[in-house]
Amino acid sequence: MREALWAEVLKVRRSRLLWLTALAFAVAAAMCGLFMFILQDPQRARTLGLLGDKAQLSGAVADWPGHLGLLAQAVGVSGVMIYGITVIWLFGREFSDHTAKDLLALPTSRMAIVAAKFTVAACWSVLLAIQAALLGLLIGTALGLPGWSAQAIVSGTVRILVTGALTFVLTTPFGLAASLGRGYLAAVGAMFAALFSAQLLAALGFGAYFPWSVPGLYAGLAGPDQDPPGFVGYLLVTAVGVSGVAATVIWWHRADHTR
Amino acid sequence: MPTRLPGSPAATLPVIARVVQSWSVPVVHVSALSKRYGGLAAVDEVTLSIERGEIYALLGLNGAGKTTLIRMLLGMIRPTGGSVTVLGAAVSAGERSAWARVGYLVEAPAAYPELTVRENLDVVRRLRRLQGSADEVIDRLALSPYADQKARTLSMGNLQRLGLAKALIHRPELLILDEPVNGLDPAGVVEIRTLLTELARDDGATVFLSSHLLAEVALLATRIGIIHRGRLLQGIEAHGLERHVRRRLAVTSTQDAKARSVLESHGYAPSDAGDGLVLTDDQALAHPEEIATLLVQAGCPPTRLVIEEEDLETYFLRIVGAGDA
Repeated sequence: MREALWAEVLKVRRSRLLWLTALAFAVAAAMCGLFMFILQDPQRARTLGLLGDKAQLSGAVADWPGHLGLLAQAVGVSGVMIYGITVIWLFGREFSDHTAKDLLALPTSRMAIVAAKFTVAACWSVLLAIQAALLGLLIGTALGLPGWSAQAIVSGTVRILVTGALTFVLTTPFGLAASLGRGYLAAVGAMFAALFSAQLLAALGFGAYFPWSVPGLYAGLAGPDQDPPGFVGYLLVTAVGVSGVAATVIWWHRADHTR
Repeated sequence: MPTRLPGSPAATLPVIARVVQSWSVPVVHVSALSKRYGGLAAVDEVTLSIERGEIYALLGLNGAGKTTLIRMLLGMIRPTGGSVTVLGAAVSAGERSAWARVGYLVEAPAAYPELTVRENLDVVRRLRRLQGSADEVIDRLALSPYADQKARTLSMGNLQRLGLAKALIHRPELLILDEPVNGLDPAGVVEIRTLLTELARDDGATVFLSSHLLAEVALLATRIGIIHRGRLLQGIEAHGLERHVRRRLAVTSTQDAKARSVLESHGYAPSDAGDGLVLTDDQALAHPEEIATLLVQAGCPPTRLVIEEEDLETYFLRIVGAGDA
């Protein structure tokens, strides 16, 4: 798989995707920082025009646990899109650029090529989550947030990274969708369907049983009163991730490659 | 157990046997190969065999089944019937033993647009587990001036060269090329034709290519297969192509009606061609001077007497038309 990994890394390094996704996560971290800045002193924010006169802020506290929790939620929600787009690009571009056919009759197996793509996506997702956590720490320090403790920082950071990992695992079916749809469109549709359903089912109280709602619930999106997703939720996330990878490998191996 | 010393007859014989065997086994063997999509037969019971060093051209109109057949040769499409063997290995999606010795270009050439020509070739070099650099193939395909240029900026012709470079980078024993001269200018067409001929002649490489240009493949191929609606209609040796091409003797006389009756009375079977008569009798084609003598003696001398040969396109369309019938 080493050869396939080398090729995938080169393709990713030369693409704009790397910078765009990093920028998107930086914007998400900045928005969380802005929210904390507003929460610290709503009257100051109103004076600066950052907050509407009638806006009411509730359910969030401007301290370190609140800040890192908010960041974890941002990773859980925007991660489905940002990680999803990464996976969709890695697979969809081979069909969009008509290069898939050049990967099919080589000494390197199709399984190695698929595995290399998911490995690159996984590594990049971890790096993005680390970037979000580091930016969060920097912004929190710059804002002088109260409630600093080693325990709050470690648990907040772990929450961000675990949310990122759970979210990435759920994007593997989008690799299959990009392969099946032989391009970006079907996979982007699938991603939005998953995102929309996750919001809806979480709001209806069934989020713990819908895999794409699980990272958000784990990050605390439903509020402090809500229980974190249980064993079934995590099991479903694992099942989706493993099935996504397996189905994509099987598809690349067995499908009729007519394009 | 006796020890076999390197270079001893006992050690050499199995090697010779393997070499002889590899030369006697067809490089490509396709047996009753079919691909059906519902009721549509994209490829229908095709059987063909290609020997080492041959340049085999599969000729067909767009949609004839050329690309589907090529994709089945490469394990990209699963046949609904029949079998394919490439370099002695039965082709399937999981069987990769032959691919290290096969180079291919399927349909339009493709490349990663954000990568340079050299980087695109490096990707292939890595995936093919090759050592060294891509410089040799870059030189061979005259891509040196564009080596550090991004693939997205390449002209269609240079993109085609890059596609061919990807197919040739590992000096394959078998080259499978789908429309290899598409997009090339006339000089490029001659260059690729020369390159493929040299590969077959000097390296003993076998070339399987598809095209819809009979005139082009007639200059390049050693054998031609005509495919239409998924069926292989005809397989012919390229050097014997003229034997398959129709010839006729066109005669225009001062008095066509009289000329016709004269020829008929001498056992010929002229037919009317609008602006004169046409003879397809072997005797007339072999000895047109006899026709001239006959007509002069009968007082209706020919004003035009010429052997017309069917051009390759007409021949191809006639075969395809017969396939339709």
